[in-house]
Amino acid sequence: MKNKITWISSALLLAVLTLFVWFYPKSDFSESERRVLAPMPEISAESIFSGDFSNAFEEYATDAFPFRDAFRAIKAYTSKFVFNLSDNNGVIVKDGHLTKLDYPMNTPMLDHASERFQFIYDTFLRDANTNIYFSIVPDKNFFLDTLKLDYSALVSYMKEKTPYMSYIDVFSLLSLDDFYRTDSHWRQECIRDIAEHIASEMGADISAEYTENVLDVPFYGVYAGQSAMNVSPDTIKYLTNDILNNVSVTNFDTGRPETSYVYNFEKANGRDPYELFLSGNNALLVVENPAAKEKRELVIFRDSYASSLAPLLVPAYSKITLVDIRYIQSAMIGSFVDFQNSDVLFLYSSSLLNSSLAMK
Amino acid sequence: MLFSSIPFLYYFLPAVLLLYFLSPKKLRNTTLFLSSLVFYAWGEPIYVFLMLGTIACGYFFALGIEKYRKNAASRVLLILSVTVSLSSLLYFKYADFFISNINAATGLSIPLLGIALPIGISFYTFQILSYTVDVYRGDVPAQRNPINLAAYITMFPQLIAGPIVRYIDVEHSLSDRTSSSEDFAYGARRLILGLSKKILIANQLGELVKIFHASQDKSVAFFWMYAIAFTLHVYFDFSGYSDMAIGLGRIFGFKFMENFNYPFISKSISEFWRRWHISLGSWFRDYVYIPLGGNRVKKGRFIFNILVVWCLTGFWHGAEWTFAVWGLYFAVLLLAEKLFLGRYIDKNRIVAHLYVFLFVLISFVIFDAKTLPDALSYIGAMFGAGEYPLANAEFFYYLRSYAPLFVIAIVGATPALKHFIGKTQLGRRLTLLEAPVLCILLILITAYLVDGSFNPFLYFRF
Repeated sequence: MKNKITWISSALLLAVLTLFVWFYPKSDFSESERRVLAPMPEISAESIFSGDFSNAFEEYATDAFPFRDAFRAIKAYTSKFVFNLSDNNGVIVKDGHLTKLDYPMNTPMLDHASERFQFIYDTFLRDANTNIYFSIVPDKNFFLDTLKLDYSALVSYMKEKTPYMSYIDVFSLLSLDDFYRTDSHWRQECIRDIAEHIASEMGADISAEYTENVLDVPFYGVYAGQSAMNVSPDTIKYLTNDILNNVSVTNFDTGRPETSYVYNFEKANGRDPYELFLSGNNALLVVENPAAKEKRELVIFRDSYASSLAPLLVPAYSKITLVDIRYIQSAMIGSFVDFQNSDVLFLYSSSLLNSSLAMK
Repeated sequence: MLFSSIPFLYYFLPAVLLLYFLSPKKLRNTTLFLSSLVFYAWGEPIYVFLMLGTIACGYFFALGIEKYRKNAASRVLLILSVTVSLSSLLYFKYADFFISNINAATGLSIPLLGIALPIGISFYTFQILSYTVDVYRGDVPAQRNPINLAAYITMFPQLIAGPIVRYIDVEHSLSDRTSSSEDFAYGARRLILGLSKKILIANQLGELVKIFHASQDKSVAFFWMYAIAFTLHVYFDFSGYSDMAIGLGRIFGFKFMENFNYPFISKSISEFWRRWHISLGSWFRDYVYIPLGGNRVKKGRFIFNILVVWCLTGFWHGAEWTFAVWGLYFAVLLLAEKLFLGRYIDKNRIVAHLYVFLFVLISFVIFDAKTLPDALSYIGAMFGAGEYPLANAEFFYYLRSYAPLFVIAIVGATPALKHFIGKTQLGRRLTLLEAPVLCILLILITAYLVDGSFNPFLYFRF
């Protein structure tokens, strides 16, 4: 009897899951993982004999598994509560925050980043009468009791490699609460002091009044999907005032100027609501402020952290140019940006510096 | 195709079970054979022809050996059969190893052949070898039905990572077998437990090993943690695969030999090898060690026999000097036990366990190393050579993270739980829970496969 129950229940479960696998409608995009799922590969003699078909089918079968998110959640909870593993897919749950392990300090990556900075300095800045500043944004792990980078070593290393820049420290002004719980980024409404500190170090006055607005979209940050756990969403708040309402934003992503926005609500309703800020990652973006008291320009070499910070620097500048060298070759920047007499700020997160291969 | 994959569990296996049990009994071996070809071709589309060629040779040589039994021709055919099988193995597995060593020794620069290793070649070659030798010895009649022989050699449950099933053990099942509900239950149990060992334990330990290798912040304690993790990883990976093979075999009505029997409770290295990869150990014993004279020879010859067998055992695992040294390392330990050490370690159980634990741990560091200098530097680092700190933040982080998994793995690698259940009369109550527990495990396995990335089988490369 016991044997019958064992084999019938196992066979039945296998059969039911198999029927779902074979006949359940397949999705082509995973919202939680923010990625396109592998499609069913095409069968051909060549793909079969090269082994490409079997490899691609394996990816397809895994990606197209019915109730994928539920199974991912089962795995995440088992890893955490049965095996007590600190992370699932590299995502850690700590002090109510989701974060990703970023360890150890990767010196070749830091070297790569500083080589790119040096190239930009030598090619465009050395003789352009610019004031050059550098600031590093720590990732959330800095505030958590977990395995983390030696941040002071990282900062010292980068400062040593970039003696032509004035370093602006923001570590001491930040706290864990300044970051979204489910995402890597900082919250715009919490970093006004950071913006003021950076501006003041650059000799600029950005004092202004803002209205705090709440985005009507639940924000499941990048770690929420990766963790596969059931987490409550963050709320995105964004700051507005008359100055920001009247700036013009131009995106040069396609090589031709296209009108863009400080706060892009179409993007905010898309896959990553953090793209509300300056439409997310773009190669080249220019923000022009007709209400600026003086003609003063700023060029920011940046990653995504600057998307929410740059609007706060607008009051002091007639023009802010944001350059993301992950999406444009450093050598090409000169065709689009005039550095003469500008302030130049290199604003990068520690996590990007420590994994800088994408910098071109 | 990996057992621990969605395509196998939810496409291939259900389809094969359906086809197999719907087939008339006479066609079941054909179904099994064709399914096994699909299974093999999934990962090795080209080498499936090599395997079929090797099987055809085995088939015809065995018929010839039987036909000319007690005749010199029989011996010649056996030698030819062994030569053909071993040539194929030597060419595909060892050619580049020999060329690179010749180049290193002579200064020549003979280009390497760069041949990809056909999956499972070591396993199916050994099965064909044992089959023809058994026919030669008269232990089994030659199989006249080529489909039956091909179904035996290619049988997908054991095709690519063993256990090395001998023809003599499945001869009768090939022509006449049934699958009872007891077989089904046993098979499902072993399959799911094997998958659990592989996916829930081995893969996670494998992740830790991967983390260790990638770490730029190693410490002495981290080296020890790595050695334990890798040893347990190999055990759960390979014994898990053997469980799956045994379980699948039973579902189709075959009884394969056990391949592992709690090796870590051994009190000597010779006992360890009676409990670890049993099918390989017994193969070398029956087809190499005993034909060489075994231990019923003079001491010098006995030492020679042991060294030969263990050097071959090492090389069987891979065409690298590290594997040869790994095999010879065990040869030295076994000789030491036979000649003098045995009487000392027998006296104290704790010392005996510690001795086995330590030397097995070191053996797997050699096993995992890419080169001999790597192996030496790792072993040195474990004992404080090298400028590593005793422990550091990374070690403590992963120790905290993986401690429960280590406890589960260590307890699971011993019969402690089995004995506890037996002693406390919990067995009867637990049998009621068996079906739900297996179903939960199947769901967990599926969840880990759906969200997993680290999933190689170590013994596929052999």
